[in-house]
Amino acid sequence: MASEMTNNGNGEMSKEERKVYDRQIRLWGYDGQNKLRGMKVLLIGLQGLGAEIAKNLILSGVNSITLKDHTEVSILDCCSQFLIPRDSQERNRAKASMSAAQKLNPNVKVIVDTTPIEQNVDSFVTSFDIVIATECSPTTYKRLSELCRKAKVKLFIADVYGLFGYFFQDVNFKHNLYGEVFLDNDKINTDSLPAKKPLPYFLTSALLKFQSESNRKPNPDTSEEDVEELKSIVNPTLDELNISNNTFDEYYGELFCELSPTTSIIGAMVSQTAIKNAMDKPIDTYNVFFYDHVEHVGQFHLL
Amino acid sequence: MAAAIAGVFQPEMQNLIKESKVLLVGAGGIGCEVLKNLVLTGFSELEIIDLDTIEVSNLNRQFLFSKESVGKAKSHVAKTSVLKFNPNVNITSHLGDIMDTKYGVAFFNKFKLVINALDNKKARSHVNRMCLSCDIPLIESGTMGYSGQVEFIKKGVSLCYECLPKSEPKSYPMCTIRNTPKEPIHCIVWAKFLFGQLFGESDEDVSVDQAIYDSTEKVSARHWAEIVEYDPKKLLKKIFYDDIKYLLSMESMYTGKKVKPILLESSFFDAEDVEYHHVPDSEVLTLEQCKSLFLDCITSIKQKLDICENRSLVWDKDDDDFMNFVVASSNIRSAIFNIPLKSHFDIKSLAGNIIPAIATANAIIAGQIVIHALRILSGKYVRCQSVFLRELPNHKGQILVKDKYLQKPNPKCMVCSTDGEIVLSIDINKITVKQFEDLILKKKLNMVAPDVLVDGRMIISSDEDDELDLYEKTLAEAGVNQGSRFSVDDYFQNYSIKIMLQHKEKAQEEDPDFEIFGNLEELNTAEKNNVAEPEENDEDCLIEKDESSVERVDDDLSISDEQVHDTVTNIKQEDDSDIEDIVDIDPEVIKVDQEISNEEILAMKRKADEENEDINEAKKSRVD
Repeated sequence: MASEMTNNGNGEMSKEERKVYDRQIRLWGYDGQNKLRGMKVLLIGLQGLGAEIAKNLILSGVNSITLKDHTEVSILDCCSQFLIPRDSQERNRAKASMSAAQKLNPNVKVIVDTTPIEQNVDSFVTSFDIVIATECSPTTYKRLSELCRKAKVKLFIADVYGLFGYFFQDVNFKHNLYGEVFLDNDKINTDSLPAKKPLPYFLTSALLKFQSESNRKPNPDTSEEDVEELKSIVNPTLDELNISNNTFDEYYGELFCELSPTTSIIGAMVSQTAIKNAMDKPIDTYNVFFYDHVEHVGQFHLL
Repeated sequence: MAAAIAGVFQPEMQNLIKESKVLLVGAGGIGCEVLKNLVLTGFSELEIIDLDTIEVSNLNRQFLFSKESVGKAKSHVAKTSVLKFNPNVNITSHLGDIMDTKYGVAFFNKFKLVINALDNKKARSHVNRMCLSCDIPLIESGTMGYSGQVEFIKKGVSLCYECLPKSEPKSYPMCTIRNTPKEPIHCIVWAKFLFGQLFGESDEDVSVDQAIYDSTEKVSARHWAEIVEYDPKKLLKKIFYDDIKYLLSMESMYTGKKVKPILLESSFFDAEDVEYHHVPDSEVLTLEQCKSLFLDCITSIKQKLDICENRSLVWDKDDDDFMNFVVASSNIRSAIFNIPLKSHFDIKSLAGNIIPAIATANAIIAGQIVIHALRILSGKYVRCQSVFLRELPNHKGQILVKDKYLQKPNPKCMVCSTDGEIVLSIDINKITVKQFEDLILKKKLNMVAPDVLVDGRMIISSDEDDELDLYEKTLAEAGVNQGSRFSVDDYFQNYSIKIMLQHKEKAQEEDPDFEIFGNLEELNTAEKNNVAEPEENDEDCLIEKDESSVERVDDDLSISDEQVHDTVTNIKQEDDSDIEDIVDIDPEVIKVDQEISNEEILAMKRKADEENEDINEAKKSRVD
């Protein structure tokens, strides 16, 4: 499926490429750009957040990006999926995004893959430099984290819930695995890690637990019930930590769909961190990032 | 669009999103991302304005544009592109300048919110004034490389864009440029002046920079070039041999100075042409290659001049021949003055004042802009503190950091406070009324159509029907005295200011033409300081780096270096309750100042780090 017009990785950067990339080469130099031109990316999940990550990495001029999604376009995609034209007849999300994605930068090989990641063999990830996963189940994230650690493939896991978002990264293969950070015990574990955890961690854990139990994210159709369910998951933990049950009241109203302001922020934060990795300047003293849309703060943590 | 789906937002918010009319000023790097976010969030009444067309160097980040749209209007193409993923939105796109008088109060009053995604101080100041005057909330934004910021501006509630002083553009002593260059940038600035002399406007511009230039010399350079019909070899010889010989013949010129030019060997001028096309732009050409490049580009520029209607070219970094001219000329001059030569790539950065720009920083800032927009619409103003995107996380791991509090308006602000008065120190016998209007009111104070009364008498009118006939007169001839008070009104911007005049004779040609102070006290302090530290003659004949060198709307407006300085001033002025924010300032942003060497950046960064540590210590002890 690769486009035939691509130049990346085939020898010297052309004059045309230099012109297109001029403003970023002035930031990270020709060396940095050449490293990007060698980077092969697997992107799982082509909803709003996936579209943002695809856009940023394709614009930056990576070697290739595989858009992997087996799911169908939904009405909720119009909240943030800008790569799918509204009049598209194509039902598969990755296929429907292909044309707009390729148009962003003809120098990048854009490849579509519609096989569910769950059906791929373990060694599948080894053909990529970086794997970025969104909109998978917590179980799949756990498996990916173990696979990528074993294969020494850099991994990013990211999700957006309404205006709230986070990402996990394993880039130096030293810190906790995804399943060690976000435990799927009966309740959110508060004492296995002694360091004080940031508040968004508890919200994220509750959302993941909701997903494990319901096999879906909270949904605008069932917003009231879903919020009640979330509260019942998170409140016992808050009680245990002596934190007020009202702590997340402002958050609950804005946790549905992937909303564009935050897919824009998380998508760019993941892309930029991945780009820094390709240039051997990783932000690797942390493994989790939260964007807190109520506090207007984006912060890295080591969890 | 999220707001079209029930349950995504609370019903009240949902309606505000659907119904609020928003103006987006700028369809560049931040503008494209903001437009996408607004449309996807469900804003359905939008207007977007931009005066620019699409260029190839935009395509690494302005994702609503593609190669096929190069040369077309940004605002129109941006609109067409977003309609593909959301056809159910009402967007009006304007190809035009927001400072145009047709976008007056009536135009602004249509909007519930204005978003600035601009790249220059002038337009930002203007929109700031329009929004203050119409009492419309404004979101101001900028990015530069990895960093960026979002600010909320509302009359009486927050700082306005002009509440804190903006730093001036970088300037270089004219005598250094003309006679004693010490760094590559001096030769680059000189080369751009040379271009203007040889191919540009002759005497249209009345700016200070031009006035300082010896006008007879300027005309004669152009005249001379015309006489020899722009013969490349003759130009080369005159500029890089005869003129240098002339400089050396002036005895006092280089006595006691470290800098002295060396005449190039005559063999250099007679040597055969050498090939240079294969050299990548990141590598430095040899002196001989620079010579060949110079000869070739003179020929090409001559052809452009010949087909140009008014026989006058304006230098542009994106014209390869014009850029080559500056590369070749500045490098040959550097060789003469024993300054290291630079690569085409580096010279373009310096000559074009290019600000690096990437998609991700713009997307993060654009996301935060729309989050701010949602808070503003629901009236939560105090929650809309400034948010800064840092290049690297701070000690707490924060990379997107907010100010602790929304900052209150500066009561001394000459724009948003009502009783603004400033003091202008100027030579009333030298400056004409026309220069006063152009240089001070329009250029310095960013007005568009000022009316000026002096002690109750009108000397400048924005109404063309008023024939005052004072433009060519000096201020003194127009009846202005020491201590006169000007009342200046710009009805278009709904902005007024009082100016108190202090006459100051211009002692030397190199003295600044005018200076502006917040009050008399500041002026007195400044004068005392001047006496205390007499500057080297070389340094006080400052010229402003010419305007054309400042990248126009091409770059997402970024925080130009002036704004980075803003941030720094901003932080310095905070009281210690906001100490956290001082810690958060990123010394990396200093990188933009192309003149500063890496060592200096490192030294500054270390110093800043040390200060940060001190502050941390101080804070700890305070908390204890």
